[in-house]
Amino acid sequence: MTCGEAQEFITALVDHELPEPERALLETHLNECADCRTALTAERALKQAFRESGAQLRAPDALRARILSDPRIFPAQGRGARRWRDYLWPMPPVLRPALAVAILLAVALPAYFFMDYRIEPVAVAALESYDLFLEGKLPARRAANADEIAEQLTRAVGGRFHPMGYDFSAMDLRPVAGLVREIQGRKILVAIYQGPHGAILCYTFLGSEDDAPPNAAKFFDSEKKLNFYAFSRGTVNAVFHREGDVICILASEIPMEELLTLTRSKARAS
Amino acid sequence: MTHLDHLYRFASHLTKDQEQAQDLVQETFVRAIAAHEQFIPGTNLKAWLARILYNFFVDHYQKNKRWALLEDASNEGNDEWNRAAAENPGPESQLLGKELGTQISDGLAAIPEAFRTPLLLVDMGDFSYEEAAAIMSCPVGTIRSRLSRGRKLMARRLKAYVKGPEQK
Repeated sequence: MTCGEAQEFITALVDHELPEPERALLETHLNECADCRTALTAERALKQAFRESGAQLRAPDALRARILSDPRIFPAQGRGARRWRDYLWPMPPVLRPALAVAILLAVALPAYFFMDYRIEPVAVAALESYDLFLEGKLPARRAANADEIAEQLTRAVGGRFHPMGYDFSAMDLRPVAGLVREIQGRKILVAIYQGPHGAILCYTFLGSEDDAPPNAAKFFDSEKKLNFYAFSRGTVNAVFHREGDVICILASEIPMEELLTLTRSKARAS
Repeated sequence: MTHLDHLYRFASHLTKDQEQAQDLVQETFVRAIAAHEQFIPGTNLKAWLARILYNFFVDHYQKNKRWALLEDASNEGNDEWNRAAAENPGPESQLLGKELGTQISDGLAAIPEAFRTPLLLVDMGDFSYEEAAAIMSCPVGTIRSRLSRGRKLMARRLKAYVKGPEQK
């Protein structure tokens, strides 16, 4: 193999798209060619730079507003505070195209709550701590492990309830700290999971499904027999569900679709 | 990051204009809703939307350039595009004075669309070669060769940031 022939193979290797016969040929060449090894390293760095650069560009709020107010996408009939929610649930399946649901998830959720909430429910107010966390101003107590966090938080509420604990190690997220917030007279336990690529904050408090934000999109998981409520505050997505008399909210900047899937997978069936 | 962010990013680099990018994404959703029966639940919505967006871009924004695009595509074997990009790499001092992100945006804007799109889809959109090929309606091998050449064009423009082997 010549260096010229190796170029496209290197590209495919960087993209994890090089099938085995070609891969073996390229590896033999790389063992013998320092220039192509350098080219491989450079191309990997370039791809990483593209990826990071791309991640910084997000759709402006004005675009979300344009799409939400476009009658060709969301017909004017019944336009109002709850209209788009009604696309999601509880319309019968024949009237609920999967596409509309997916597009609403993609477009509407992050913006809608921002545009139209009047009274901030406790579930939304709790997310204020996520903003503080992002700004590095959250007075959280660091802990060595999940058990220590759970013990501290349980003690803070006199043992009346326990913080939800999840294992996010598959996402490279570890429990690092916990804190207690008091919002509207209610104690809210916050466990912070952090990793090299992001964070999830887990909120636990005593409550009912009435505490779900009224504008949240509601989903019923028929397997677990649980309702899930998806909502956003700024760049932070959140999914709310109830287990017994305890409410759990997972909040993160990961996409809503992923957060909803994650919460559903972790929630304990009722 | 939502599909909307992905689509906006794709549109933004395709059109090189924020207002046109917003128009393109909005029209993509209009077309998607109109054609919703063609979408198969459980398949890749992001790829389906990206394909609608790209087709709309080619039909409307590239209308005047379509013949040039086809002509360019038939000339992949020569170094015409390489020469065009190399002739206008921008002064080195300017490269160093800008953020890498800005450099990447400027670089993408300067290379031919046929090379830019695979980079946007695979590197920034996390699409596989097969998905990118379906979006661009071209063979998988074309995606691979255009990516390889597109990255080389970009590497030349970003040589202050990404070290590669000496050009021969």
